[in-house]
This record gives sequence, structure tokens and C-alpha cells, in this order.
Amino acid sequence: MQKTLYIFSNGTLQREGNTLCYITEEGKRFLPVEDIQEIMVFGAVDFNKSLLEFLTQHEILLHYFNYHDYYMGTFYPREHYNSGFVILKQAEHYMEEAKRLTLAKKFVAGALRNIEQVLRYYERRGIALGDTLSEFTDNETQIESITDLSELMAYEGNHRETYYRCFDKILDHPDFPFDKRTRRPPQNNLNTLISFGNSILYTIVLSEIYKTHLDPRIGYLHATNFRRFSLNLDVAEIFKPIIIDRLIFTLIDRQMLTKKDFEAETGGIVLKEKGRKVFVEELDKRLSTTISHRAVGHPVSYRRLIRMELYKVEKHLMGEESYKPFVSQW
Amino acid sequence: MFVIVVYDIAEKRVAKVLKKSRQYLYWVQNSVFEGEISEAKYKKYVTELKKIINLEEDSVIIYNLRTSKYSSREVIGLEKGGQSNIL
Repeated sequence: MQKTLYIFSNGTLQREGNTLCYITEEGKRFLPVEDIQEIMVFGAVDFNKSLLEFLTQHEILLHYFNYHDYYMGTFYPREHYNSGFVILKQAEHYMEEAKRLTLAKKFVAGALRNIEQVLRYYERRGIALGDTLSEFTDNETQIESITDLSELMAYEGNHRETYYRCFDKILDHPDFPFDKRTRRPPQNNLNTLISFGNSILYTIVLSEIYKTHLDPRIGYLHATNFRRFSLNLDVAEIFKPIIIDRLIFTLIDRQMLTKKDFEAETGGIVLKEKGRKVFVEELDKRLSTTISHRAVGHPVSYRRLIRMELYKVEKHLMGEESYKPFVSQW
Repeated sequence: MFVIVVYDIAEKRVAKVLKKSRQYLYWVQNSVFEGEISEAKYKKYVTELKKIINLEEDSVIIYNLRTSKYSSREVIGLEKGGQSNIL
């Protein structure tokens, strides 16, 4: 599996000797271009056009985040999997309200099922969640009866609220109260972690989309608009609870992140560099962790799981097989 | 699979081998590289190496580990290079 390169320090990234080279005050470091799928830039990194050319050749995506860890954008190299057919199908499913709703519902259903699995896990471990769980069971039949997109969004939003409120019971940690979901900028430690994790997950899904015929600009649950990619946001919904939220619970539970890793910035809370590194390192490990997949019959990494999800979407669009979102079994 | 590459190459060609190896693997020490590599890329790498080196004079040894699960790696003294993907 090709790796993700995360850059937190300040330096220059360039092409040298037909491979990638990162130059800092400490010296040069060569990175094997053949082993890299994407680069995430958090630090102040200099680069030039010849690097971008080189990245295009090797089909490497470059994601950049600003000083406050906000996602800023992606250098998305020229598409190498071109398929007019898939784009037409994607647009068709977006334009026809009924088709769009069908797909959007599946993303919501998948997300809620995975949330349910996370909650179930903690309930089994003896955390009293009250009747929260019963709200999540049987949501598929409820989703079926929804007739328009705004109603669906509200349904999803309400459930997510309920879910996030369970974080307090699951974590039960004085330094990480949930309070309420705040964004741009997040107002407490836990919200900071959720935002940071989600924004990285979005870019990872985007990198996987790049390896398929799909066009990331056309999403279904998230409206397609003029500013950014949205298909990756849709697919990420399914994986947020099982990848990011679980990671957050682990990090806090094992005290790999403590309140010392956060600091107050203008208007919000940010993760310090050490904390970000810990988070990213553990996320990277988690993505390459393999699980045995019922349908495939051999171990599959979480990262691969994301790609498989995209292939399923593609099949749905082409009318080969109706899309069924991935539901975690544990 | 995981490979460890060590080489002893005449001065004339050593830089070429170094550069080629940097494209595929992580530099560990002078004349030593290591890293995870797919089978296809491994073949490509070996073919390209063969084009560079002189089979009469140079020597490249590639240790091949199907999995690095049961191996351990100990460094004594300085860690000069490595595989870190978080910079």
C-alpha cells in the first residue's frame, strides 16, 4: 500500500534526482516517489511548479491545511481515469430528484448504522446510554418514508446531535466534555478533535476517489456547489463513526492526548503540533489495519474499504448493482 | 513485501544506483535501503538496476521478507535515515 506523507515542519519540498526531496534546516530527506500516494501539508512548505508537474506525472495528490488546520484545498492532478459515461451517470443521478434522494438516503442510513454499532459496542461494555440506542434501531424504515432532501438532512442532523451527546457518557473525562458541536473554530478540546479528524478523513476519501472514475465534485447528500468537492463528504459520513470517532475514544482513553496538547487561539481551541502528530500517526496506523471482510474473503485495510465503497457507488450509478453502504460488524 | 537492499558499486556508477533506489525505497545508511514495495514495483526496480550496474564488477544484495511481522529492528548509535512518513 502506498503511503501518505504528512508534513508538519517548515521546509522546501522539491523534485530532485527524479524523486521527492524535503529540505529543512536539519538537512535533506529523500522520499521514494513510488511509495507515496498523497501528501498532506500542515507546515509552511515551499514548492514550485516543477514539483507539481512531477506530482501530476506520478498521480500524487497534495492536500494543504492552513495554520489553524482548516482544510484549504487540494492539488488534484489531471484525471487519469477518464470516463464520460460515469460523469453523465453521476450528473443524471444528481439532476433527477428521486435518484438523488435514493443515494442520499443510503449515505445517511449507512452513517446511522455505523453510529449504532459504535453505541452498541459501548453499551455492551456497560455504559448506560438510556434509550438513545433505540432511537437508532430501525432508522432505515424511517428513512424510507422521508420524501425530500431537507427533511433527510434534518433527520440526520438530529440523530447526530443525539449521538454526540453520548460522547460524554462514553468518555466520562473532565478535560473532554462534549457540551455542543461547535465548528469554525471549535470551542472545546473534543470538538477540535472531531473537526480535525473529519477534515483529514475528507481528504483521504478524496484521494481514493481520484483512483476511480468518479468525479468528486458531484455529491448527493451534500449539495454540489461552486466551492468544493462534495462526493467525498458523502462517503466520509459512513466512515466517520467507525474510523474517526473510535480513534478519538482510544486516544483519550489511553491518555495519548491530554489537555496539554491543546491551546486557545483567537476564538477557538487548536491542537498543538505534538498532538496533531500523535493523532495523525494513530490515524495512519488505523487506516492500514486490516480486517477480514465477509464478501472479499481476505484481509482488507480500512483504506481499501473506502475504495470498495466508491466502487459500489460507481456500480450503483451504472445501474449494475444497487448500492448498499458498508456497515461495521463489531 | 519488505526488502532490504545493500550494494557495493564501483564509484563511477554508485550515484546512479543511489538515485534509482531513492525512487523506490527509504534510505537507511550509505549503500543500504529498505522499505515496503509491491511485487510489480520490485520487478521494475530490479530491471532498472540491472541496466545501471556492471554485472562483472558490481554487487547488489536484496534481502526479501515476505512479511516483517516476525522480525525486529534494532539500531545502535545514530539512526541516520528511516521510514518515517510524518515530517
